[in-house]
Amino acid sequence: MGNEHSHGSSAHSAPPNPYLEKHTTPEQTEALEKRVRTLESLLIKKGLVSAETLDKMVETYENDIGPLNGAKVVARAWVDPAYKERLLKDATPAIAELGFSGLQGEHMVVVENTPSVHNLVVCTLCSCYPWPVLGLPPAWFKEAAYRSRSVVDPRGVLHDFGLTLDESVAIKVWDSSAEIRYMVLPERPAGTEGMSEEELVALVTRDAMLGVTKAESRVA
Amino acid sequence: MKLTPNRNISNIEGDAVLPRKNGELVFHDAWERRAFALAVALCEQGHYQWDEFRDHLIAEIDAADKAKAQSPDTSFPGYYENWLASFEKVLIEKGICTLDQLPSKTTE
Repeated sequence: MGNEHSHGSSAHSAPPNPYLEKHTTPEQTEALEKRVRTLESLLIKKGLVSAETLDKMVETYENDIGPLNGAKVVARAWVDPAYKERLLKDATPAIAELGFSGLQGEHMVVVENTPSVHNLVVCTLCSCYPWPVLGLPPAWFKEAAYRSRSVVDPRGVLHDFGLTLDESVAIKVWDSSAEIRYMVLPERPAGTEGMSEEELVALVTRDAMLGVTKAESRVA
Repeated sequence: MKLTPNRNISNIEGDAVLPRKNGELVFHDAWERRAFALAVALCEQGHYQWDEFRDHLIAEIDAADKAKAQSPDTSFPGYYENWLASFEKVLIEKGICTLDQLPSKTTE
């Protein structure tokens, strides 16, 4: 793939990621395993760290960055009407309230799904994406088929994602740019009234925050 | 103990950005996970500032990129190899370890 569009700054697209390919030979991997193991036991012996802390550390970072940031924003908006108002009015500072920043001058806009309006996010030019809240974009988000078709036939695109909306529901398509990144605030699923904010976070998927699906009351 | 990710770490940008796929961290091998955790753990415990580690990381990546540009066909250190080298440098710098305690002392 690569950078098919390089308009705007380097902050325009999600960061390039040349490190996803594994490149070490089995021998090199083994040597690195050994090097890290030695280092780890040295630091454990010095009493600086415990194996348990390290496990917990990895778990936290693996599970708690990426799409989850956006999910926390959505769950907060579901339980806190005042927060939701701030979020819809000016999303960038509202998102920063929860400690999520890292945007490089782009403005975040959050659009709310309602029973009569469904929002869909796209970047027709390339792959602008609110990556500090949603992590890196999924492959399909960058594909020409999604980028062009979501504008001319959003209903068809949603249907392909398994979401068939009633004809009476208006669909708004939001085209991200170098300056503005959109995120969808999905509707809070029915039957979740008794759930805590923490439980709600688990219901919010990346796809729901892009508008290609809805948030469901049970995690699939 | 409830850990909260340090946003300085999870939001590293530019060349030092953490390898991720679909928003999630990518680790190929167990050692990469451990190297990640070690550097983050010692930082969280206040043994060094995140920037001090990150500056090394950026320098290592930069050096690896330059080396790769000169000889594109040879193997070059990957992200977490740069990460590991940076971690060792910061350990020495902060007097947490001495050079001869490090497993990689023979490679430099």
